[in-house]
Parts: sequence; structure tokens; C-alpha cells
Amino acid sequence: MDKKAKRNTPVMIVLVLLAAIIIGGITGYVVYLTSGQQKPAAEKSKGVVGRITDGWDDGISDEPDGSSQAKSGTSIPGYSSASMNEGDMSLVLRVGNPPENKVGLIATVRLEDGTVLYESPVLRPGQGLEEIPLNRTLSKGEYNAEVYYQCVLLDDEHTPLNAAISAFRLHVN
Amino acid sequence: MKTKKLITLALSAAMISAAVVSVSAATLTQDDPDGKTEVIATIKGSVPEGITYEIKIPDVIDFGELTQPTTNTDSYKTVNYSLRLNKLTGDNFNPGTQQISVYVKDQNAKPNGDDVRFYIANKENSDIKFQYDVYDKVVNPEDIGTISNLNAGSMTKTKGFFLCDFYFEGQEMSGTLSINQSQLYGRDILDIAGDYSGYMLFYSTIENS
Repeated sequence: MDKKAKRNTPVMIVLVLLAAIIIGGITGYVVYLTSGQQKPAAEKSKGVVGRITDGWDDGISDEPDGSSQAKSGTSIPGYSSASMNEGDMSLVLRVGNPPENKVGLIATVRLEDGTVLYESPVLRPGQGLEEIPLNRTLSKGEYNAEVYYQCVLLDDEHTPLNAAISAFRLHVN
Repeated sequence: MKTKKLITLALSAAMISAAVVSVSAATLTQDDPDGKTEVIATIKGSVPEGITYEIKIPDVIDFGELTQPTTNTDSYKTVNYSLRLNKLTGDNFNPGTQQISVYVKDQNAKPNGDDVRFYIANKENSDIKFQYDVYDKVVNPEDIGTISNLNAGSMTKTKGFFLCDFYFEGQEMSGTLSINQSQLYGRDILDIAGDYSGYMLFYSTIENS
């Protein structure tokens, strides 16, 4: 019995080592795949983005025209003018995010000097206002005003994207 | 008994082997490209008076992977962008005397400030940043050094650098962003590796000719 056991020992060692290598390999491969899948969810692109790697190339793109195309876009509303009466606490101005949108919008209505009249929460697609409640009243006169549109991803952090300003003339009668 | 010891030893070796691979895998994924955000969106807006319009701007422009050149020579990477006047309403808009003018600047730029260039900054350390240029026309990488970019001059207006005028619905303009990867030359890759982002701010207004 002992002799038989001695004869089988090298075979057992080989089998066990093979099993160890296979288990290690499979575990490592699974961990590698899992880590690779989690990465995109953890990091998000922003307005203008890039990534540095340590490989070098000549900088010439593979695209036929020598560059890659920007694939995204958001249409921003613009206005020539809006009116309200002195003492009004609201302004008729349509600010919204139509249903076909894929990003969120935060709209800030303000005067050119930076005085904020209204700031919206994140407007999801399909949400918007036609009459804006104001933080303050304005005296009679002509004002340079603007709507600052911040595009954001619809994630928990509302990751910012590029932004736009639409300038308009505000008449207070 | 000996066999049991051998099995225990071998299994321990397997566990250590797995742990080493796990660390390697984690290290490797730091160099993996991240997910790209591709969004197409439309916003409509109007006021009860005057002229209303909507301009499609790029919300994301992705340079993709930047690479560190091995020699200190120009190595441009470009990406194209486009704007479009999607909608224009209002009977009193006269394209003969009026236009919708669009300006652009880096979100952190100040008019007449010390630095009005466009930057992307490392997400983990914003002190590490690299400049890129904006062109108001599509430029091939091989022509980058010979054509003047928007931000070559000074930015005298709060609005930003003048980009284009729109006169009619459906009008489009295309341009190019370019980054010279020679900025990465000689830098410690361990210091600068990572994800970068920057923000462009587009300003539109109706102006008279």
C-alpha cells in the first residue's frame, strides 16, 4: 500500500499543480474582465475630453478625412427679446427640455451683469416652463439679459457637458 | 498525509497566483479607454414676441486617446465639430440687416485676462492641463501648423471669440479642434496619465449688420 502511494505521489503533484494553474488562470481572467467592464460606468466623458496613454503614434487619424467626427449635439433656444412690467415677479419665457432630448439642462436666467433672476433645477427631457418665477423685481428700463444653458448628463452627479448662452433684450415697461 | 500537505500547498499557490493576477488586472484597467458619451439632443424654445431660434451645439467633443510622442515634434490630433441653426421663426428677422452671431470661449476664460486659451485638465489634478486650439473651419491635421486658429488673437469681448453668423434655417458650420501632443513630450507618463476634460461655452445673440 505504501509502495503504491509512493508511486502515485508524483502523479498527484502534477495533477494538483495543473489544477492550481487552471484555477489561478480562470480567476485572474474573470477579475480582468470584470474590472474592464466596470471602468466605463465609473468614468464619464465631459465637454471636451481626452485620455493620455503611453503608446506613441504619428498623430494621423485612421479616419479618411484625417479626423474623427463629433457625434453629439444639443440645440439651444435663443430669443431676440422678452417683456414684462415693472414690479412683475414672473417673466413669460419658454425654457424647457423637449422629450427627444437625451441630456439634462439647467437654465439660469440672468442679467448681463450677473444678477440671477431664475435658476431651474435639472430639466429632464419633456420638462420646461413657459412663465418663469423671478427672484426679484426690476425697475422700468431696457436690460441686456441672457439664458445660460448648462448641459448635463442624466446621471446621479449631473456630470456637466458644454454650455451655451442665449442673449436677449429684456424690456421692462 | 503527505498528499494532503501537497494539496494544501498547491491550493495556497493557486490563491496567491490569483491575487497577483488580480492586481495586474486592476493596474491594466487604469490604461483602458473609458466609455464615450454620445448624445444627440434637441431643445425647442420660444417667446411670445420677437425672433426665436435654436442652435445645435456640440455638447461633447472627444479627442479620444492622446499619446505621448517619443520625440519633441509636432503631433496633432484633431476632432471635428459642427453647429447648425435648427430653427428660426419671427417675421421681423431680416437676413439683409441681421444675423445670429455665435461666439465661443473656454468656460474659465475671462475677456482681456491673462489666459483665454482653451484647455482640457486632468480630472484628478486640474493643475495638469493641456491647451487645444479651435478652428472655425475643418482643417486636416497636416495643415494645422499653417492655418490660424480662433484663439490665436486676443479675446476682446466677454462673449468670446467670434465663430460664425447664421442667416437662415438649416445653415450649418463645421470646424476643428486640434491638440498638439508634443505638449506631453518629456512628461512623466505616471504623472499625466488619466482622463481629461474641459468645457466650451457657446454664446449666441442677434446682431445687426
